[in-house]
Amino acid sequence: MSATTDTRVLTAPRYRLPAASSWTLTIAVVVALLALLPLGFVLWAAFATGWDTAVQLIFRERVGDLMVDTILLVLLTIPICTLLSVTLAWLTERTDLPGARLWSWLCVAPLAVPAFVHSYAWVGFWPGIHGLGAGVAISVVAYFPFLYLPVSAAFRMLDPALEDQAASLGLAPFAVFRRVVLPQLRLAICGGTLLIGLHLLAEYGLYAMIRFDTFTTAIIDQFQSTYNGVAAYMLALVLVLCCFVLLGVEAGLRGSRRYARLGSGVARRTRVARLGRWKYPLLILPLVTAAFSLGIPALTLGHWLVAGGAAIWRMDEIGLALGQTLVICLIGGFATTAAAVPIAWLSVRRANRSSRFLEGCYYLASSMPGVVVALALVTVTVRVLLPFYQTLATIVLAYVIMFLPRALVSLRASIAQVPVELEQAAASLGRSPGNALWSTTVRLAAPGAAAGVALSSLGIMNELTATQMLAPNGTRTLAMAFWALSSEIDYAGAAPYAVLMVLFSLPLTWLLHHQSKKIAGR
Amino acid sequence: MTTSYALAAGAAVLGFSVLAFSTSASAQVADSLTIYNAQHEALTKEWANAFTEETGIVVTVRNGSDLEFANQIVQEGANSPADIFLTENSPAMALVDGKGLFEPVAKDTLEQVPEGFRPANGHWTGVAARSTVFAYDKTKLTEDKLPKSMLDLAKPEWKGRWAASPSGADFQAIVGAFLQLKGEEATAEWLKGMKTNFTAYRGNSTAMKAVNAGQTEGALIYHYYYFGDQAKTGENSKNVALHYFKHQDPGAFVSISGGGILASSKHKEQAQAFLKWLTGKGGQKVLRDGTSFEYAVGKGEASNKALVPLADLQAPKVEPSTLNNAKVTDMMTAAGLL
Amino acid sequence: MTFLKLNSLRKHYGAVAALDGVDLSVAPGSRSAIVGPSGCGKTTLLRLIAGFDVPEAGTILLDGEVVADAQGQVPAHLRNIGIVAQDGCLFPHLTVADNIGFGLKTSREAKQARAAELMEMVGLDNAMLSRKPDQLSGGQQQRVALARALARKPRLMLLDEPFSALDTGLRAATRKSVADVLSAAGITTILVTHDQQEALAFADQLAVMRAGRFAQVGAPRDVYARPVDAATAAFLGEAIVLPATVKAGQAQSPLGLLPVDERDFEGQASILLRPEQISVDRAEGLKANGTVGEVAFGGSTCDTRVTLDGAGAFSFRLDIPNRDMLLKGDRIAISVSGKAHVFR
Repeated sequence: MSATTDTRVLTAPRYRLPAASSWTLTIAVVVALLALLPLGFVLWAAFATGWDTAVQLIFRERVGDLMVDTILLVLLTIPICTLLSVTLAWLTERTDLPGARLWSWLCVAPLAVPAFVHSYAWVGFWPGIHGLGAGVAISVVAYFPFLYLPVSAAFRMLDPALEDQAASLGLAPFAVFRRVVLPQLRLAICGGTLLIGLHLLAEYGLYAMIRFDTFTTAIIDQFQSTYNGVAAYMLALVLVLCCFVLLGVEAGLRGSRRYARLGSGVARRTRVARLGRWKYPLLILPLVTAAFSLGIPALTLGHWLVAGGAAIWRMDEIGLALGQTLVICLIGGFATTAAAVPIAWLSVRRANRSSRFLEGCYYLASSMPGVVVALALVTVTVRVLLPFYQTLATIVLAYVIMFLPRALVSLRASIAQVPVELEQAAASLGRSPGNALWSTTVRLAAPGAAAGVALSSLGIMNELTATQMLAPNGTRTLAMAFWALSSEIDYAGAAPYAVLMVLFSLPLTWLLHHQSKKIAGR
Repeated sequence: MTTSYALAAGAAVLGFSVLAFSTSASAQVADSLTIYNAQHEALTKEWANAFTEETGIVVTVRNGSDLEFANQIVQEGANSPADIFLTENSPAMALVDGKGLFEPVAKDTLEQVPEGFRPANGHWTGVAARSTVFAYDKTKLTEDKLPKSMLDLAKPEWKGRWAASPSGADFQAIVGAFLQLKGEEATAEWLKGMKTNFTAYRGNSTAMKAVNAGQTEGALIYHYYYFGDQAKTGENSKNVALHYFKHQDPGAFVSISGGGILASSKHKEQAQAFLKWLTGKGGQKVLRDGTSFEYAVGKGEASNKALVPLADLQAPKVEPSTLNNAKVTDMMTAAGLL
Repeated sequence: MTFLKLNSLRKHYGAVAALDGVDLSVAPGSRSAIVGPSGCGKTTLLRLIAGFDVPEAGTILLDGEVVADAQGQVPAHLRNIGIVAQDGCLFPHLTVADNIGFGLKTSREAKQARAAELMEMVGLDNAMLSRKPDQLSGGQQQRVALARALARKPRLMLLDEPFSALDTGLRAATRKSVADVLSAAGITTILVTHDQQEALAFADQLAVMRAGRFAQVGAPRDVYARPVDAATAAFLGEAIVLPATVKAGQAQSPLGLLPVDERDFEGQASILLRPEQISVDRAEGLKANGTVGEVAFGGSTCDTRVTLDGAGAFSFRLDIPNRDMLLKGDRIAISVSGKAHVFR
C-alpha cells in the first residue's frame, strides 16, 4: 500500500531548472544580441573598410576639427551642468528657499522640451547665435535636468546623521558639504554626467540648427550625400569610440564600490539650511535657469503662434502627424518595456554574474547614438533582412535598443518591491512556476511597467535622427514635421508641432520627477 | 508562465511580422505610388495632391535628400519599394541611371520637355529647374563690388565674406557643374579656396537668412529661396538682392530637377502617368502658380512671372546625365568640407 | 562642581513638547545615563547638547561657558563634543582609518598613528584600518565610531543608544569596554538609552525621563530602590506596588506587616517591593499565604502569578526558580526581606 503511494510521488514531473528562468534567459539573450547589432555593425564596418581607406578617412583635418569641437563641447558643458545641478538640487532639497517644491518641478520640466526645440527657441531669440558657445549654452539648459534628477534624489537619500556627525567632529558647514555630502553624491553625479555626455555625442537637431558641427551632424551630412557610405561608417566608428571613452571615464570615476548605507537607523528628517538674508538673492539662480530653459521656448513658441495665427494650424496635417506619433510612441513604449521584462526579472531574482553581464550589454547598446543605430539597421535590413526594410518593426527595434534602460530602471525597481515569497506562495498553491510569476510579480510590477512605457514613449516622441532614417514610407511624426518646417525656416509653421510635443511630454516629465522622489523614499 | 511567455513571444513575433509586411503590402495596392522625394516637401505635396485629385491614384511620399535616396535606391536594387524618384538636381538621377535602375520614360512624356532639360538617353526627365545665384546683402554690397565669376569667391579678397550649404545636394550639384566645366584640378583648387573663405550653413534658406541678418555678405544658393520668402513675409530676405553671374559662368549653372521611374516598380503604368502629368500642363501649372518659384521646363509652359526668364540666364551648357556626384563628395570630403 | 549644566531647556516639534523644562547638572569625569521610553525627548536633548538643534528656551553651559541660550548658540563644529550614534554613523565612503582621522587637522602620518593608537584602545585589530565600514560587524562599527569620537579628545562624550543595534551577547561586552575606555580617558559621558539595565549598569548618575521632563535624577541604586512614583519604579524594573497603612516605620499590607524606609510618615500610602525581596515556600506559613495562578515556563525560572488570600484577592507576578516546580493551584507561603519603599 505504502509502496504504491511512493511510486506515485516519484512519477510527478521534475524540472532541473524552473522553466520560467530558462525561458526568460533565452529571451533576454536574444534581445541583448539584437541590441548589440549596431555595435557589431560598426566593428564589421571597420574591418570591411580596410586599413588604408580607414586611415585616410579617419586621420584627416575634418575629423580633427570635429574631434576638437566634440571634446570642447563635452568638457565645457558637463562641469557647468554639474555645478548648476548640484547647486539647484541643494537649494531645492536642503534649504528654505521660497517655493522649493515648485522650483524642483521646474528644474525637471525642461526635459519636456525636445533639445532641438530649445535650439529653435534660442535661434528665434538671437538669430545669429551659432558655434561652440551657443552649443554649450543650449546643451546646458536642455540637459541639466538629467543631472538634477539623480542629484536631488541623492540629496534626499543622504543620512543627515552623517552630517551631524561630521559637525561634531569639528567640521564647519562648507567642509561638511565638501567632505561628506559631495563624496556621497558622486555616484549620482557620475551617472548624470554620463547620460549628458552620451546625449551631447548623439544629438543632431540641436547642433544642426545652430551650425555647430559634431560627429553626429557630420554623419548625417554624409548620410544625406552618400546614404550609408564608408565615410559615414568611419565617422560612426570614431563616435562610438568617443562613447567608449566616456563610459570608461565614468566607470573609473565611479569606482568599483557602491556606498552601502550602514546600520538600520531610521533616516531623520533632513535639516533645512536657513538662507537668511541670502534667501531672495539666491532665488535668482532657479529663476534665471527657468527663464532660459522654459521661458525662452515659451516666448519663442508664443511669438510664432501669435505671428502665425490660425493659418499655421493645418489640422489635417497636424492631426495626422500627432496620430502617427502617438501610435509609434505607444507601440515603441510597449515593445521596449516588454523587451525589458526578462532582463528586469533576471537581474532581481537571479542576480548573478551572467545576468549582470547581460544587463551591461543593454546599457552599452543604448549608449550608441541614434544615428549609429539607424545607420546599422538601415544597412543590415537593406542588405540582409530585406523583409524588415523600412518597416515599423525595424524602427521599433531601434527604439528598443535606444530606450530599453529607461524601461528597465522602472521595472526593476517595482519588481524588487514584490517579495519573492509571493511567487513561492503561489507555487505552493499549485501554480506552475511561470503561472506563479505571472499572477504575482508581473501583476504587482504593473505600475513600474506603466512608468517604463511612459518614459520610453517620452524618448520616442522627441527622437528625430533615427526616426528620420528608419521610419516606414509616408511616416511623418511631430518631430519630423517640425524639423522639415524649421529647416526651411518656416518657424511659424513649425511652432504647433513643437507645442504638441511639449504638451504631450509634460505629464511624462512630471512622472519622472515623481518617480525620482519615490525611488529616493524607498 | 511558460505558456503565457510562449504566447506573448508568439504574439510578438506574429505582430512584428504583420508590421513588417504591412507597409510593403500597402505598396502593393494597385492604384498607389510610392515616391522617394528629394524635392521640397511642400512642392511635392502640392503635386501629389493635385495628381491624386485628378486620377484617384494614392501617392505615398518618403522625404529625404538627393544623394541619400540615389545611394539608397542603388542599395535597394531590385527590391526598392519606390516607384518614382524625384530630385532637386541631376547628379542623383545620373547616379541611379548609371546603375541601370531606371525604366525608360514614355516617349510622349519626353516630347513634352525640351532636349536641353532631359538626358539624351531618355531614362529620366527634367521636371523643373533652378538657377544658381549669389544672394547678397544689398545694404553692404553694391553691384560693382559683386564677384564677376563664381571663381572669384575662392580668391583671398573674399575670405570670410560668403556662405554656402556644402552638405546639401544643391551646392554639390553646382560643384558638379564646375567639375564638368573646369576639370578636376581647377575644382580641387577652388574647393580649397572655398574652405578658407566661406562660412558653412546647413540649408540654403538658413544661408540666405544669415545674409539678411548681416552675418555674411553673400551666399551661393539657388534663386527660389529669395522669391519664396518675398512671397510670404519677406522677413528673411528684406536686405537681400540676387546677383546672376550669367556669361556661361559656372555660377550661372541651371540645375535640372529630375523625375524617373524605377525599373523595379510594380506600378509602371501609374508611374508613367504621373511623370506625364508632372511634365505636362498639370504639373507645370503648379510650378507657375504655386509657391515653389522653381522654373517650369515643359514645352510652352511659362514660369512664374516674378522670375528672370530662363532664356535670359545665359547658363553654361552642362550635360545632366554625366554629372558625377560621387567624385564631388569625395573631393569635398578631401577638402574638409564634409 | 558642575561640568555641564542644563537650565530649563524647552523644545517643541509642532504642538508636541519634546522637552518641557529640563534641568541637569553633570559632574566632570562622571558617567550619566538618561533613560526613558521611546519618544520621551531624550534624543532631542542629546541633539541640543551636541548643537545639532537649537533650544527654544533655557541655557546650556559647558565647562562654565554658555554654548546655547536665548541669544544664540555655538555651532556643533566648535563645541568639541563627541557623539556616538545608534548605528555608529560611519562615513560609508571612507576607510576605517579615514573615518577615525576625519576630525583631526594633523598630517596624514599623524592621523594614521593616532588611528592605530585608538584602534588598540577600543580593542580592534589594526589590520582593519584599511577596510570600508560595510566590511565590519555591528560591534566593530560601534568601536570604530567611538574611536573616531575619541580622536579629538572631546570635552564631553554623548552616546546615543550606541548598543541597541547589537546582539544581546555583544551588547554587554561592548558596553563594558566602552565604559572602561571612557573612564581611562577621563571623559565626561552622557549615555542615552531606553534600556534600563544598560543605564543602571553604566552610570554614576541616572536621569529618568518621561514626556519631556526628568521624573527623577540620582544615583542608580537610589533611584532603583527609592523611585519617586510607581511609573518610575515600573520603568526601572518589575515593581510590586501594594496599598498599605504606614505607621512608625511599619506598613500594614496584604503581605502582612512590613518594615518601610520612612520613619516619620503616617497614613495611607502605596508601598513598593521589588520581586527579589520576595521568597515563597510550599508550606503555608503564618504571615501571608497565597495561591499559584498561571505558570509560564521560561527555562531557569517560571513566570508565575501569585494571588494573595484575603480581601481584594491582590495578585502580582514573580520569577520563581524552576526547581520549585510550582503548579497552578498550589498553596504557598510568602515572606519578604528588606524594607518596602513608601511613595509619598
